[in-house]
Amino acid sequence: MLFPTVEFAIFFPIVLALSWALMPRQLLWKPFIVVASYVFYAAADPRFCLLLAAITLVSQAAALAIHRTEDERLRKWFTAAGVTFDLGVLAVFKYYGFFVSDVSDTLNSVGLGSPLPLVTIALPVGVSFFSFQAVTYVVDVKRRQTEPASLLDAAIYLSFFPHLVAGPIVRASEFLPQLRKPRDPNRVAVGAGLTLIAMGLVKKVMIADYLGREVVDKVFAVPQAYSAPDAILGAYAYAAQIFCDFSGYTDMAIGLALLMGFVFPQNFNSPYRATGFRDFWRRWHMTLSRFLRDYLYIPLGGNRKGKVRTYINLMLTMALGGLWHGAAWNFVAWGAYQGTGLSAEHALNGRLGRLFPGWLRWFVTFNLIVVGWILFRSTDLSVFGDYMAALVRSGPATLYSVPVVGAIVLVIGLQLLPERPMEGIELRLGRLQPLLLGALLALVVLVVGATVPSQGVPPFIYFRF
Amino acid sequence: MTEPERQDALERLIPEDFETIAEMEAEARPGREGQPYGDDSLMQRFDRWGLRRFTGWDGVKAILLTTFLLLIFAGGSIRAAANELKPGLGRDIVKAIGEPAGWVADQLPFAETRRELTSWLSPNQQLSGRGFEARPGRPTVLPPVPSTPQPLHRLLVTGDSLSTPLDIEIARKLADQGAAVQVTRDPHLATGISNTGLVDWSKLSSTQAADDDPDAVVLFIGANEGYPMPGPSGAQVNCCGPAWEAIFRSRVGQMMDNYLRGGVQRIYWLTVPTQRDPARKPIADDVNEAIRSEAASHGAAVRVVDLIPTFTPGDRYRDAISIDGRQTIVRMSDGIHLNEDGSSVAADLVLQALDRDFNF
Repeated sequence: MLFPTVEFAIFFPIVLALSWALMPRQLLWKPFIVVASYVFYAAADPRFCLLLAAITLVSQAAALAIHRTEDERLRKWFTAAGVTFDLGVLAVFKYYGFFVSDVSDTLNSVGLGSPLPLVTIALPVGVSFFSFQAVTYVVDVKRRQTEPASLLDAAIYLSFFPHLVAGPIVRASEFLPQLRKPRDPNRVAVGAGLTLIAMGLVKKVMIADYLGREVVDKVFAVPQAYSAPDAILGAYAYAAQIFCDFSGYTDMAIGLALLMGFVFPQNFNSPYRATGFRDFWRRWHMTLSRFLRDYLYIPLGGNRKGKVRTYINLMLTMALGGLWHGAAWNFVAWGAYQGTGLSAEHALNGRLGRLFPGWLRWFVTFNLIVVGWILFRSTDLSVFGDYMAALVRSGPATLYSVPVVGAIVLVIGLQLLPERPMEGIELRLGRLQPLLLGALLALVVLVVGATVPSQGVPPFIYFRF
Repeated sequence: MTEPERQDALERLIPEDFETIAEMEAEARPGREGQPYGDDSLMQRFDRWGLRRFTGWDGVKAILLTTFLLLIFAGGSIRAAANELKPGLGRDIVKAIGEPAGWVADQLPFAETRRELTSWLSPNQQLSGRGFEARPGRPTVLPPVPSTPQPLHRLLVTGDSLSTPLDIEIARKLADQGAAVQVTRDPHLATGISNTGLVDWSKLSSTQAADDDPDAVVLFIGANEGYPMPGPSGAQVNCCGPAWEAIFRSRVGQMMDNYLRGGVQRIYWLTVPTQRDPARKPIADDVNEAIRSEAASHGAAVRVVDLIPTFTPGDRYRDAISIDGRQTIVRMSDGIHLNEDGSSVAADLVLQALDRDFNF
């Protein structure tokens, strides 16, 4: 079940009302919210609920086993077992085909044949997100940052429908404390929740899908058919599209959770105002970047083992982060590109700030990020090559229009404005009377709905991951 | 508003915990000076900004108001959405709500007002409806098919989700060949010939022929078929079987006629390769049979590009086939669609067929 659908529009009001009605009776509320979340997930494919349940049971067993022993060696083994299972599920469902194809190609080239059956496995929606959340649960218990939850609480944490299919990746230590006592029905950020839902809808349907339809899909499908003006427009349009698509989803997820009394961590903070790669990753998909930092980069040794190991760790972390986005070499290359940028910044050790003015650092960073997006959006490395060739091919501009350029400038420009006015607007909207915001939300849905083409609403980009 | 007034207005929004906006901002930023990994989750941001000021029931009331307004302004959309869903419990629930909601919306003037006010925002014309005739009369005369290869200037690749990434592969291969062919890609995801709720392919085929003016059309559709369709008597006919296939065939025929009457010289219609789920086989069989028989009745104007011998020989599903001597996965994980490698193979078959009839 996707957020901007009629099914969800029927599902959510019922669940929201029952949730607040049952909230004081936690013995009823907790099973109810688990069932509601599994119903939400089953709408995609009921069989995947078994996978979600298996991850929950194994992670819970691992967490309890870790907590019950003081033997550090045993704690490590239980952690390894839990994490291996969680990541193993991800590996099998997401990377089997990729791995087998590449191994098969390699072995075929030396005449050894394919050792494993070449079959495709259906990718359960959201597996990349809930498997990572399961890892945070097991590891946070190992690190004594959180106590093991009851099985019911663990099930809610992993299946809670607002974050189930595309994040944000909420740490166990952020979510489980919110389950320890009923959410206070008198302290709910209703205005902020409704505002975020409306903003998310506008970002996704009116901006991201529009730019995808009018520019991005065309240029990236056949870059050979376009020249530099269109290729440049396509790259900037994709930068705006992917931001609006993913942050739009996140806004809706955070807004829905707020209406139910829960707070999720922030996931975006004006990423295109970054003045360096490090700054970018503190603003873009923040819950993933901190996961990679806390559960991969730092355990690898971080920057504590000398310069060379730091660069290796950065490259490895970002390449694996790239692979998390999809089972394809272009994602690995994109991750390595980000790792190279981070390593270069690390090597310069803050000297960039002293050597160059802020506007120049922003300009260079932004355009390097956009080049990275070309790699990210290309379906394979040959398309990336074709796209880069298009960027230097002279020819006419065929895709420019006032709404397209206006949308790109709006999305990127708003992130560059001083933040006070924007925050002021968000704060004002968040304080409006809920009934007024409810009426405004209906208006937004009607307007947004009118812009949906006959081709329908494409799925969120991050649903593929 | 002057700058000092604006600052004053903003200052009034600051929660009590902070004295200045700068202080509030500094607290809200990840990676504060000296605290590289400080409060990076910003879990307290709604408290700090003073936004947790309403009750849970305020939220319920607001969402119920939103729902009520959507019902009276767009109740018909719920009914339409139900018709687009696959049969099952979810569809039954949406239908149970959609029918009365649609009825209520039909009795009130709001839906029409909404349509009038927002129609200018719609990116394309209304394509849903009942454009297919129950008993089509074969058009008296279809334009003659050229007997010699003609230049190919414009090619339309369309269909449901099956038609992409096939459309991309065809466009890329033509571009790589240096062919000056303008390829229009027009996939309509989640649509079907047997379901006119979202897109009526009778209307769409006429519109595409008029708007895009293609020399040739490549059609790959059939992932969302199997819906009940009204028969000649008006009664709904369920899939699958001769009666359903006959209606489906007449719809396929009307689409072919629409394209040909609209100036298209030739149509290349791809069959649906066998799918993994055996329950889908009767649907695919009826769809393919309708395509073959209707193409035969249109002579050389319609070519069937049969994918079954290539992708599922013996009508047996498989994920991988041999390409250039090595086994390659050609299907997506849903067991329905072709992946990029598979679409590339299908595109080669289409280009071979095009090459017989056109110069490019």
